[in-house]
Amino acid sequence: MPLLDVSELEISVHSTGGDIAVVKGVSFQVNKSGTIGIVGESGCGKSLTSLAIMGLLDGSQARTTGGTVRFEGTELLGLTMRERRKIMGNQMSMIFQEPMTSLNPVYRVGDQIAEALRQHRSLTRKAARERAIELLRMVRIPRPDERIDCFPHQLSGGQRQRVMVAIAIACEPKLLIADEPTTALDVTVQKEILGLLRDLQEQTGMAVVLISHDLGVVAETCDFVAIMYRGKIVETGRAEDVFSSVAHPYTRGLLNSIPPVDRDVEVLNEIPGRVPSIEQNVPGCSFHSRCTIAAGICREIDPEFSTVSGKHEVRCHFALGSNNRAE
Amino acid sequence: MLTLLPTLAAASFLVFLFIHLIPGDPAAILLGDAATPEAAAALSKELGLDEPLLKQYALWLGNVAQGDLGTSIFFQQPVLSVIGDGAETSILLAVMTMFWIIAFGVPVGVISAIRRGSWIDQISSGGAMLFASVPTFWLGLYLIHIFSVGLGWFPSSGFPSISDDGGLANLRYLLLPSLTLAAPNAALIIRLVRASMLDVSREDYVRTARAKGLHPARVAVRHVFRNALIAVAAAFGFTFAALVSEAVVTETVFSLPGIGRLVVQSILRRDYPVIQGVVLVVVVLYMAVNLLVDLAYASLDPRVSLN
Amino acid sequence: MTLLGSIGSAVFGRWLATTGLIWLALVAISAVAAPLIAPFDPLEINPIERLSEPAPPYLFGTDHFGRDTFSRAVYGARMASIIGCGSVLVALFAGGLCGMLSAYFPQLGHVLMRVVDVLMAFPALLLALVLMTLLERSVINTVIVIGIVYAATTARILYGMTLKLKGEVFVDAAICTGAGHSSVLLRHIFPNLISPLLVQASFVFAFSQLQAAALDFLGLGLPPEVPSWGNMLAEERIYITRAPWLLIFPGALIILTVFSLNLVGDAIRDAIDPRFRGDIAGV
Repeated sequence: MPLLDVSELEISVHSTGGDIAVVKGVSFQVNKSGTIGIVGESGCGKSLTSLAIMGLLDGSQARTTGGTVRFEGTELLGLTMRERRKIMGNQMSMIFQEPMTSLNPVYRVGDQIAEALRQHRSLTRKAARERAIELLRMVRIPRPDERIDCFPHQLSGGQRQRVMVAIAIACEPKLLIADEPTTALDVTVQKEILGLLRDLQEQTGMAVVLISHDLGVVAETCDFVAIMYRGKIVETGRAEDVFSSVAHPYTRGLLNSIPPVDRDVEVLNEIPGRVPSIEQNVPGCSFHSRCTIAAGICREIDPEFSTVSGKHEVRCHFALGSNNRAE
Repeated sequence: MLTLLPTLAAASFLVFLFIHLIPGDPAAILLGDAATPEAAAALSKELGLDEPLLKQYALWLGNVAQGDLGTSIFFQQPVLSVIGDGAETSILLAVMTMFWIIAFGVPVGVISAIRRGSWIDQISSGGAMLFASVPTFWLGLYLIHIFSVGLGWFPSSGFPSISDDGGLANLRYLLLPSLTLAAPNAALIIRLVRASMLDVSREDYVRTARAKGLHPARVAVRHVFRNALIAVAAAFGFTFAALVSEAVVTETVFSLPGIGRLVVQSILRRDYPVIQGVVLVVVVLYMAVNLLVDLAYASLDPRVSLN
Repeated sequence: MTLLGSIGSAVFGRWLATTGLIWLALVAISAVAAPLIAPFDPLEINPIERLSEPAPPYLFGTDHFGRDTFSRAVYGARMASIIGCGSVLVALFAGGLCGMLSAYFPQLGHVLMRVVDVLMAFPALLLALVLMTLLERSVINTVIVIGIVYAATTARILYGMTLKLKGEVFVDAAICTGAGHSSVLLRHIFPNLISPLLVQASFVFAFSQLQAAALDFLGLGLPPEVPSWGNMLAEERIYITRAPWLLIFPGALIILTVFSLNLVGDAIRDAIDPRFRGDIAGV
């Protein structure tokens, strides 16, 4: 049984013209200690998906309208909020994109870590503080016994993200969802945080869902990937399979738009066109308007998943063999 | 804090100038219509009225520092003691009013924000805006008309000191006035608390708090309200200013022997030394309140340091 | 969307704000066409008909001089408009200019904003009262006094907003392309301040109504013979039991007008640039 089993998840947002499904039929699994990367451009629904799994969609803007999210076999979407809160921050936790604003400015970081601990473990104030210092040490903050009494504004962005990680792993979760955890940070700090997450994963055996727009980061860290475009997963599989034989033109476009580090290039290959707005109802394959190999069928029929090899699946009419006519 | 001192100096200079802005001989103005030329000449000499303006200001400031705000023309008493007579009423009125403002304004604003968009929110936000649109004196007149004249539940005017017969029971005289005075100010606080709660609830750290699995009430109080309080504390300075302004009207409507009514009566009686004295006291108090607000602000927000 | 379009949709998108706007239009029409609408001379004394209950031909009844309350209310709309528009003009022109220039020229601002600080050291109505003791009771003086009181707040708000705009890239870009001070101020900064100014205008208009009514009530506002809503309340307050219509009608008119202004201002505020939303303390 997978640790997390997301199946046919649908998320809709309110708009003046009625509900619009912005995440459609998203399915993936995460095994115990596994790492999955969910990749896509901003607005593709990857963050909404992670918030829905965590239970943080507040319903006023977006809510789940279909599918299931099973965590250790328990269907989360059917739980009451009270039951979900027992899992949130405990067996399942989350870190976010903006370390600068994700910590409450009026409380000391130690108290913010202790708050998560005391919510789910019956610890004394003193024990919680000791555990908080230990956690700060685990996330490699120097002089943790002093830093524990700092306010967030006294720490750098990288350190704040480390505190966020400390809060997230405080109750030794089985699953950590990291929503663009390094996007707002400097490149060197990015590497440190990713390295830290990897090490923590080895130490604790937790599974990680890494949300990112950066294929490079995902390729380095994850053993499984899912590429999302306009609310749907378009390609998924084991990381080495996907990157060694890219099957979807969108994934290929994303890979081509990464500047190579070993040589200078004149022109970056970006994907032509723009993502059609979410209100727009695109018939057929949602990528056809930007796709270089699109044909008549792409405008009419939305492709189903077809298997490339093993667990490597792709939603494209021309992914298997017939796409060679475009090349 | 250091920026307050020049402002206070400039404001007090304006207050000092007030007497000189009235057409006529300042000495005669200070003594009133009954001034004899001899008395005017004597006062002129005492206050150095024939000296340069800055020197006069220095003399006046020196007197003020010793508690000498001049002599009331109407009462023929030192201005400070005339103001002191009204202090009890005004202070008690202010305290009772602040009690209503906090007791009504804060909880209603919080509930309004938590239940955003519900009928409770619509009624309290709409009602708050309506109450902020009602002239204070009109509300006061109708409260007297209904509860004092009509139902006879409360006295309609005046306020015997609580050191007189009746003691604390005399506070019932201040019930309607304090409610009148609180209504528009509580309305402002409701809208302010609601708006800043909504602002804060969109912050990333509130999402972090929810991700810890905390109870919504704990998130609302410890994370949202605690940060919304920073903006609300900053607004209490304005509330004080609004209170002073509206106290002038309210004390007049309810014939309360306070400082507010003293100003109005002194203006009508052309008792200029009293007007000058009251304005000075209010300005100094207002500055002190702003200083307290700054201190409260710094203690609520660790990012702010007083230096 | 154009500026007017976005403000329009903000106001008309809410039925309450729309109702408010319609009420304000009615007040404006009464103000302009008062002589045509009012069936009687607002100053005409008719002792025989004194304290008549509301009934034709006296829609709102008559006061203790036998003057027609409806006609006085219609002329009161004219006074309300004059006081409101006048105070808004004084406050926004003096305060707006002072705030904008102070932010744009820091050295000038250093002096001007200290003056504003000093003015703001006096609570609003107290400052108005003191200024009124120095001046005669007249319409123009009331307008000036209320205008000055709110010029200080307006200056403070505009100062903050202009400072924010001054730090924007498009202003730097304009300066780099060689635009002069007046061009930067008028063509790049000012257009961004129009909708916040509109919000501030509606709140100043609303406050001015309450301030003027309070001054009238204390006997320190408009001259007593002027038919304003505040004067009507002040003069007839002792008849609250015998002739309740004398206080209900003018009071309701003030409340409706101020409430409408607050609703409209609130609706526009929600439509303006979110960076400025918190700056304007209305209701």
